Amino acid sequence: MIRVKIKKEQLKLIFNRLKTSHKIIGPKINNDVIVLTEIADFYDIPFGYREQQGKGTYRLTKGSSQFFSFSVGPDSFKRFVNPPAREIFAFKKSKKRISIMSSNKSSAMSNEKSDSSQLAMVRVVQHSSSLPFLFVGMRACDIAALRLLDKVFLEGHVKDTFYDSIRRSSLIIGVNCLYPGDNCFCSSINTGPEIKDGFDMAITELDKSFLLEIGTPSVREMIDELPVENASNEDIAEKDSLIANCKKNMKKTIDISELPWLIYKSLEHPRWTDIANRCLACGNCTQVCPTCFCNSSYDYLQLSGISKKIPELSGTRIRSWDSCFSTNFARVHGGNFRPSRRARYRQWMSHKLSYWIEQFGSLGCVGCGRCITWCPVGIDITQELEVLKK
Amino acid sequence: MYDKTIPFDAAIRWIKKETRDTTTYAIKIINREIQRLYAFKPGQFNMLYLPGIGEAPISISSAPIDNEIMHTIRIAGDVTTHISRLNTGDVIGVRGPFGSSWPLEEIEDRDLMIIAGGVGIAPLRSVIRHLLVGKRRKKSSIQYQTGKKIILYGAKTPKDMIFRDEFPRYMDAFEVFLTVDKADPEEYWRGEVGLITGLLNKVSFNPLNTVVFMCGPEVMMQSMVRELMLRGVPGEKIFISMERNMNCGMGICGHCMFGPKFVCKDGPVFRFTDIEGFLGIKEI
Repeated sequence: MIRVKIKKEQLKLIFNRLKTSHKIIGPKINNDVIVLTEIADFYDIPFGYREQQGKGTYRLTKGSSQFFSFSVGPDSFKRFVNPPAREIFAFKKSKKRISIMSSNKSSAMSNEKSDSSQLAMVRVVQHSSSLPFLFVGMRACDIAALRLLDKVFLEGHVKDTFYDSIRRSSLIIGVNCLYPGDNCFCSSINTGPEIKDGFDMAITELDKSFLLEIGTPSVREMIDELPVENASNEDIAEKDSLIANCKKNMKKTIDISELPWLIYKSLEHPRWTDIANRCLACGNCTQVCPTCFCNSSYDYLQLSGISKKIPELSGTRIRSWDSCFSTNFARVHGGNFRPSRRARYRQWMSHKLSYWIEQFGSLGCVGCGRCITWCPVGIDITQELEVLKK
Repeated sequence: MYDKTIPFDAAIRWIKKETRDTTTYAIKIINREIQRLYAFKPGQFNMLYLPGIGEAPISISSAPIDNEIMHTIRIAGDVTTHISRLNTGDVIGVRGPFGSSWPLEEIEDRDLMIIAGGVGIAPLRSVIRHLLVGKRRKKSSIQYQTGKKIILYGAKTPKDMIFRDEFPRYMDAFEVFLTVDKADPEEYWRGEVGLITGLLNKVSFNPLNTVVFMCGPEVMMQSMVRELMLRGVPGEKIFISMERNMNCGMGICGHCMFGPKFVCKDGPVFRFTDIEGFLGIKEI
């Protein structure tokens, strides 16, 4: 692996170099929260911020002299590879024929407009830009989460072509976490804080410079144009000690030694009822979770698409994020398999910490702690798991 | 291969009313290329799609050897209600086939017991016809013809019995035992009255040499499995077809999760011992 270092203020050069060829997605402050969005300017990245996270709390404060001292906000990169709502196809139906106009089938990046009319109520993500994504500031947990989504959307029975095209064209610039968030527990499930693979470039913020690790040839050529110098052994030692320090400072842990069996044998544990008394079934945890992939498809019809004069019907089929906390998520004709909150929380946590292992070969949790921060009543997955042991 | 995320057109060839709320539809894929590529196994299902209404997972009730794809549908929700209003020649959207199938390799040199409750006979009719028509045409399925074959079928009343006119033909190859929960006074009924578990006492079978294919309401299947195992049928030889809220058909939407299984791709046909631990758990 190529390791170089660059002066801190020169990081901007990389940004400017890639700005023309990529749509840059990265952290930016919006309404006192760090979200992930398109960033046009290098200084949009919230340097020098820290956040205090707790159970159900999040506060941003300025005051750090470091560039990347913040950790993860509510957004995760899944919203760009698997958008909250997107059109699968548009249709027209006449008496003898259903015409399907599939959208984004070959390439998600194409400028081709599907011939569906504009949707009023549902904001559907359509990629009008022809530029591929550059994900800036991905943390180790986010990269791990993306790899889990690959297992779902690319390695299953059918490949999701939309996801695939975004994933293949995107570049990833990761940032090694040196200051853990208050709810982080990635080191105990081996997904972080150090980024080990799955990146095009990984940045570590040393005391006086940035250490850049180049993972793929696609960014290698760019490095030659930049005023970089080779990283010394001391630089690498500094990185290692900073990461070791970050691991040490991580406050939460999760014990994975007994998973998945601990969950299997605890499916009737009284604690589920106790959690259900607190859980609002709002589904926040599933929305902020970088690996939650559940979705629903439904038809969206405009009133103008239903006409009595012309026996024809037109509309679009939309796929949007859903949550196992929704009341009707497990509904079949004549009944609902999980009417109680107890069962729905159990489903979520069991899926993350045990079913996922059987389905995709690894844990469904990456230890980012978002579900703890953004749970309005502060349910803490790490603590609940501890209680299940008793 | 065609794209299983996009529905293709199929036209309704004929419609046969089975009971007051259940109807069999024979459909034909319109696109020639897809027609050629489309191949299913007994036990699999299609997603039937009505634009503007939605999709519903419906098992295929015909055999691969049949000339048509048939679906036997009971009116239960939006999609099935709208399907019930369609006529011959109307077009519907289809995605599939999806899911696992009845393990026909398991019944080589063994006896087969088919157990169905209510509309649960639909996916099993695919196996029945596969064996029956295959025998008549001396096609490949002849290799499964050695063992004894039993059908146990239970319905609410004689009027709710699906494929009632077809059972006499099944008797060419199967021992058929029928039961109803309640016999209608107006309806002439010669069969048994009572729960389907009671039929087990009327049948003579070798529990150690029998493979069971079962589909029906979850409660029925649970008590049936209990009875079968009490009689010595090993759990590994019991296969059940589950019903869940299938939405994508490919294990990416999460709706049909049953414990760690995606019913749409790991099922709907499961070996009992693979899901045993989750069957008794409420709201799993």
